Amino acid sequence: MAPKSRVPEKSSVSTSSAPKAKKAGSADAQQIVQDVWSKYVNKTPQRVKLLDSFMVFLIVVGVLQFVYCLIVGNFPFNAFLSGFSATVGQFVLTASLRIQTNPENKAEFESISHERAFADFVFGSLILHFFCINFIN
Amino acid sequence: MAAAESETDKFIKQVSGRNTRGLLRVIILCLIAGAAVASRLFSVIRFESIIHEFDPWFNFRATKYLVQNGFYSFWDWFDDRTWHPLGRVTGGTLYPGLMVTSGAIYHLLRFLTLPVDIRNICVLLAPGFSGLTALATYLLTSEMVTSPSAGLLAAAFMGITPGYISRSVAGSYDNEAIAIFLLVFTFFLWIKAVKNGSMFWGALTALFYGYMVSAWGGYVFITNLLPLHAFVLICMGRYSPRLYVSYTSWYALGTLASMQIPFVGFLPIRSSEHMSALGVFGLLQLVGGVEWIRTQIPSKQFQTLLRALVLFIFVVALGGLVLLTVSGVIAPWTGRFYSLWDTGYAKIHIPIIASVSEHQPTAWPAFFFDLSMMIWLFPAGVYMCFRKLTDEQVFIVIYAVLASYFAGVMVRLMLTLTPIVCVASAMAFSQILDTYLNAKTPKAEPAKENGDSKDAAKVAAAAVLPEGLRSTRQPLIGVYSYASKLTVMGASVVYLLLFVLHCTWVTSNAYSSPSVVLASRLPDGSQHIIDDYREAYYWLRQNTPDNAKIMSWWDYGYQIGGMADRPTLVDNNTWNNTHIATVGKAMSSREEVSYPIMRQHEVDYVLVVFGGLLGYSGDDINKFLWMVRIAEGIWPEEVKERNFFTPRGEYRVDEEATPTMKNSLMYKMSYYNYHSLFPAGQATDRVRNARLPAQGPELSTIEEAFTSENWIIRIYKVKEPDNFGRDHQSATSFDKGHKKKKAPKRKGPRVLRVE
Amino acid sequence: MRWLFSCMLLALLGAVQALSSSGQRLLVILEDEAEREKYSVLLEDLSSRGFHTTVQSPKADKLSLFKHGARAYDHVILLPAKSKGLGPALTANQFLDFMNNEGNVIVALSSDHATPSSVQSLLLELDIHVPSDKGALVVDHFNYDSTSAADKHDVLLLPFPKAIRPDVKNYFAGEGLIAVPRAVGQTLGNESPLILPVLRAPSTAYSYNPKDEADVVEDPFATGEQLNIVSSLQAHNSARLTVVGSAELLQNKWFAEKATINGQAVKTANRDFVQKVTAWTFKETGVLKIGKLLHYNNERVSKKLNTSVAIPEHNPKIYRIKEDVAFQIEVSEYEIDHLAPFLPVENDALQLEFSMLSPFHRLNLTPLSQTANATIFGVSFRTPDQHGIFNFRINFRRPFLTNLDEKRQVTVRHFAHDEWPRSWQISGAWVWIGGIWVTVVAWVGFVALWLYSAPTTNSVKKTQ
Repeated sequence: MAPKSRVPEKSSVSTSSAPKAKKAGSADAQQIVQDVWSKYVNKTPQRVKLLDSFMVFLIVVGVLQFVYCLIVGNFPFNAFLSGFSATVGQFVLTASLRIQTNPENKAEFESISHERAFADFVFGSLILHFFCINFIN
Repeated sequence: MAAAESETDKFIKQVSGRNTRGLLRVIILCLIAGAAVASRLFSVIRFESIIHEFDPWFNFRATKYLVQNGFYSFWDWFDDRTWHPLGRVTGGTLYPGLMVTSGAIYHLLRFLTLPVDIRNICVLLAPGFSGLTALATYLLTSEMVTSPSAGLLAAAFMGITPGYISRSVAGSYDNEAIAIFLLVFTFFLWIKAVKNGSMFWGALTALFYGYMVSAWGGYVFITNLLPLHAFVLICMGRYSPRLYVSYTSWYALGTLASMQIPFVGFLPIRSSEHMSALGVFGLLQLVGGVEWIRTQIPSKQFQTLLRALVLFIFVVALGGLVLLTVSGVIAPWTGRFYSLWDTGYAKIHIPIIASVSEHQPTAWPAFFFDLSMMIWLFPAGVYMCFRKLTDEQVFIVIYAVLASYFAGVMVRLMLTLTPIVCVASAMAFSQILDTYLNAKTPKAEPAKENGDSKDAAKVAAAAVLPEGLRSTRQPLIGVYSYASKLTVMGASVVYLLLFVLHCTWVTSNAYSSPSVVLASRLPDGSQHIIDDYREAYYWLRQNTPDNAKIMSWWDYGYQIGGMADRPTLVDNNTWNNTHIATVGKAMSSREEVSYPIMRQHEVDYVLVVFGGLLGYSGDDINKFLWMVRIAEGIWPEEVKERNFFTPRGEYRVDEEATPTMKNSLMYKMSYYNYHSLFPAGQATDRVRNARLPAQGPELSTIEEAFTSENWIIRIYKVKEPDNFGRDHQSATSFDKGHKKKKAPKRKGPRVLRVE
Repeated sequence: MRWLFSCMLLALLGAVQALSSSGQRLLVILEDEAEREKYSVLLEDLSSRGFHTTVQSPKADKLSLFKHGARAYDHVILLPAKSKGLGPALTANQFLDFMNNEGNVIVALSSDHATPSSVQSLLLELDIHVPSDKGALVVDHFNYDSTSAADKHDVLLLPFPKAIRPDVKNYFAGEGLIAVPRAVGQTLGNESPLILPVLRAPSTAYSYNPKDEADVVEDPFATGEQLNIVSSLQAHNSARLTVVGSAELLQNKWFAEKATINGQAVKTANRDFVQKVTAWTFKETGVLKIGKLLHYNNERVSKKLNTSVAIPEHNPKIYRIKEDVAFQIEVSEYEIDHLAPFLPVENDALQLEFSMLSPFHRLNLTPLSQTANATIFGVSFRTPDQHGIFNFRINFRRPFLTNLDEKRQVTVRHFAHDEWPRSWQISGAWVWIGGIWVTVVAWVGFVALWLYSAPTTNSVKKTQ
């Protein structure tokens, strides 16, 4: 479904990593991945990298919990749910913070400064933690 | 120019300044809230401050328990005065929001040294919250359109529309009293979240959504409407980071909040009704991820590949969901919600749901009755949303379509249709007002008089803007003549006045009866109050031991528990179909069969409602076939509905009633001693217009304990087993003087006694 | 003065030698005043046991078993009357009402007099059958008294009855032979569990009407042990009715008469037997009383307070599922004039039912200890895993003993929200608890680092 009227692309990507091959080949895929990685390491500001590392950490913790559940079973189901949802919810909130502090999305979030975004993030996270701890009793 | 400003200009500028308008808005909203509260007080003024109907009595009893015993006792409450002898784990099977709200208000007022009785708080809670609902509707509508009058109109409509009043009069202390306020307010917060893309608003939406889950079972509506809105936006190509932020923060926090309520528990993960929210959450993660990757990699081909990947993953997830549902890990749609799609399902499979009058499909006059002129403004308002079709207005369209379908399926769901009808019709009406209420003469566009070239430019310019209705492509100019303005305004004012008249009339006549107290008119026009229900319940309260168990049909269970304060066998909660079927079987069988059932369940008194003397048609003989049907569902061999109809297929109560009917406990209890009220042979039942046989039925296992003034409620006491081990039939006939006959000469070998 | 005082005391003591447990007002209905002399020893015996006797004719006006809605007498002896009708105060319904009010009745029949119609319908209603023809009596050709009924064989000499079943206590045992002159035999129906034979005719006896002139009795009313001389009924409320087939065995003449059976000379022991029968019917023997009933929570440690509960609350209204409960009950037996500890017969036990619609537990109560007057029975158990409204029920019905039917209602509730095992006590949940705390700690660390690190460029200002 092709989008009709979208916000015009505001990609800050430089054209240095030009799309090379028209045919999809594993060498191209690997090249693209490498390009992406090097661009990421060079271009992204430190705060965003902090965010991303936190998100990766959350994914790891979440996957660990899920695997544990698959192996051992989900006996106190509310414990599993609250543990897993804590990671999922925190991940989602952090992703939202990342979106909101991304300068490319300035037009979308006119009314929200970065500080406001961070305050919202803290507010949401506190509520999330409260519910998780209450649920696990 | 400044010097030429006259005094009047300055004055008008002051009066129409921003602050003044703000103040005016506040005053208007307060007046609307006042009107909303005032129009719900009819029954309090006419009768007294009393809880109405059936369900509110249970909520009232639960609130009293909460206020007397504290929150933790309430949370762990095991109610041993209902569903005897099974009891009910009430703390875990109700929606606590309403009771906790009332309890909080009660304690707050006491803290402010205003000792208001808990009954008055419960009675007046719904009108109070209706004022808040009007405010919430104002906020919601103001987010939709920029016109200043739309919000106020919507608030005014919502305040007095009968569709909402029907469930929020003073005394109707039911979940909908606060749930509708929470519904509209949650929608307002959601729209604010989508517009701003802020986590704060999303978190607030989640919190109020959690409050709504604790208040009403209809929260499933929000659970499905918000994901549907997000899904439609994605399908329209309107995915934006704001949508991602608002939806995901709502879903994560809201689902966790909803699982805190014991009654909901793990349902958001386990039942089909919540799966759409989870699905859209997953979809949003996918789409968000894809969008993010797209910003990293400019290749178009990669893009299309990824898009195909997204589709593939989506289909796989959907297939997985279906598989889980089929295999039973995820519960399928429960009967209550399934019957919304398949309307014939409930009558066959779950007769209890089908027998509730609120669950019947809506008759078309009900739409006009409840919504008056808004019913034709509503489609106009929805149509107008397509003019600009922002994200918020997509929400209105979806809500309107969904709510219209559900309101058509079940009368009770007119309530969820009412807010959107008010919003949409306010938008349409305010459009009229804004166009015609402009005192200025419009300035004609000079470019319009030029040739087509300018038109073409304008058309081209218009094409760049978001698509709208073809009809509104031409720029808005205004209305010139005062005559048309006055005519239209006059007509609008008349319509509004008629609306108010209609709403007030409907409220006063149709929705303000407490249904515990009946009112009728004597031949000379004065009002005659029929207070049989309370008379009987208070007789029970004052004349029976504290633990006397009462058996009656489930309709009256909550009222008996609330007003008579006695343990009951079944009540309106209807969670245990077999128990209700047991009562149904006892009511519809002969005394020899029903007496052991009553003894086993330790029943002391039996209560039955009989309207034959007054012509009150809501009595138990009219409901009798439902008792038979429900009993037949569990014991098809012992109770057969066919046996209660004459060979010609009629349902009769007079001479021609079938023997099964005449011997059933319900028939005997209703007509016992009824013939003594009339001269010989002329006993008539005024509801079924039947002449009853001259000899009334006779009872042996129960005896009459109380009959109310107009014979509406009859209470019978269950006799203890006979002291000498005889069955009650023989015992009563011996008492009457019929001596036992000596056994006839035995044929064959005699039976010897062995110790 | 002193001798007067001690004389009164002695008289009082003598009078209070035996006391019925249910009142002392006795009504004797005797139509023919002349016959009063024949029953004088019986009446004296009853008076000496403490009964206040009133003798009245059924035709007396103002005769009523009830006064102001309550029963006017506690016990009634109905002696045979000549007339068939006993008057409006003594109808079958009146007797049934009297028994419904816990009154006890002895009905004496005689073969010389026709059974009154109200007595007949009363007995038929209670499933005790008497022969319908007047003059039928019990005859035995092997156990008769040769002294007085050498050719008619209608005076039987029977030993005292044995226990009808090995697990039934026998209140009518004794030494000697009972003379039963011209008795009207009764048979008992098979359906009612409330009626029981007290003295049965021997297996060689049969019912015979002397007016019947055939040589062989065809189709007699009943024979052998199916015939009862004395039958009894105990209603559900423990009211007792005894039917004595021969009124003559109550008379002075037969209380201590010399008789011969099969060549042996014996003395009749009617007085003893009649004393036992009246003692049982008038609730001096075979009466059980319940003293204290106690149930309490037997959990030693209260979970909430974390202390041991030295004295748990007595008879609480509410328990929890899967909780230890102890139950105790005091039962005494009334023996003639005092309460004694009650012990059920061997192999029999008092049982406790813990039931909701049907019993979840049915446990034998063991005698724990004995006080001077009562035995304390007790048992401990665990409440079932089903919440609801339960009853502690003692339902002890044995022949010739008053019925015990005590019910106490309690509620059994579910686990409260903090009575489930907590998460940290379940080892399987530690991973997830760890997961949450790891998330929280990592989040705190992240927030600290974020606030410390440099903001990204192009930070959006609010006023833009």
